[in-house]
Amino acid sequence: MGAEEADIRPTLLGVVTLMFLLLFFLLSTSSGQRLATVDLSLRSPEDLAPLPHSGVLKRLVLTLAHGELTILAELQTTDIAAAATTVERREIRIAPREGRVDLDALTEQLTALHQLDPSQQEAELSPDDTVAVAELLAVTDVIRGPDAAPRFPKLALTGTAQ
Amino acid sequence: MNRRLIRPQAALTPGLDVGALAPMVDMMTLLMVFLLRTWSTEVAPAPPEGRFELASTTAEGSRRPAVELMIASDAIYVEGRRVVSTAAVHQDGLIREVYDPLMMMRSRGRVEVHAHAEVPYAVLRRVLHTARSAGYTELSLVAVNSGGL
Repeated sequence: MGAEEADIRPTLLGVVTLMFLLLFFLLSTSSGQRLATVDLSLRSPEDLAPLPHSGVLKRLVLTLAHGELTILAELQTTDIAAAATTVERREIRIAPREGRVDLDALTEQLTALHQLDPSQQEAELSPDDTVAVAELLAVTDVIRGPDAAPRFPKLALTGTAQ
Repeated sequence: MNRRLIRPQAALTPGLDVGALAPMVDMMTLLMVFLLRTWSTEVAPAPPEGRFELASTTAEGSRRPAVELMIASDAIYVEGRRVVSTAAVHQDGLIREVYDPLMMMRSRGRVEVHAHAEVPYAVLRRVLHTARSAGYTELSLVAVNSGGL
């Protein structure tokens, strides 16, 4: 006579019942919105200027107005005849796409600048007074980059775009 | 012959077969993990009147205890109490109605701003500068996390 297999169905049914109860509890006590916080750093005109960065990308300033973005990057010049403190100013304009900020183009430009100097983590954003919070957050997300591979996580907001 | 004809009762209900229950448990476990990962027990505060919708972000910073400042479409609230109309803050300078209550809660040292997605930066900037002038060094904006699993 062979030993009969133990019936595990009652155990599985117990697990399923417990899961149903947990599911019901979770659905009744939570919501589909998961909140997150974005740390903001403000820079006033009266604040002292930060120390110059030692890497290639000295300063990165972005202005946002009416969907148009302007990236102003100050880069250490590669001209051997120039002084060590001489910087090259590069201005990149990103036109709006369908009336909105072209986030794909911004990602592309910022990724290229980040690759020039991965040690630079700071950037300044100067939005126009009319920019909505949703648009502002979309742009700051791109500037900071994903948490796993940040681009310029130390972002400071400044006053009105000139 | 008789033993083969009289089948066990459980075998008559194929839905309760072990082979069918195991994938069900797997599915339930996956559903639970998904819910625990994407849903939140935190309830976003909402103003008693006016439109209010938080913007979305890919950032994943977690919330910490702070003074809650809400900028809705029609008014600004400090810790749930309406202090000033949003339309009245378009001039320059600090917002006295926000500054005074923030000064009273200064020991908390941190402000969380819940801003309506369509609020212009001019209003947000003035609120943030007011909070900073009141001595709050840690300022953060609350948004809905749009990231995936």
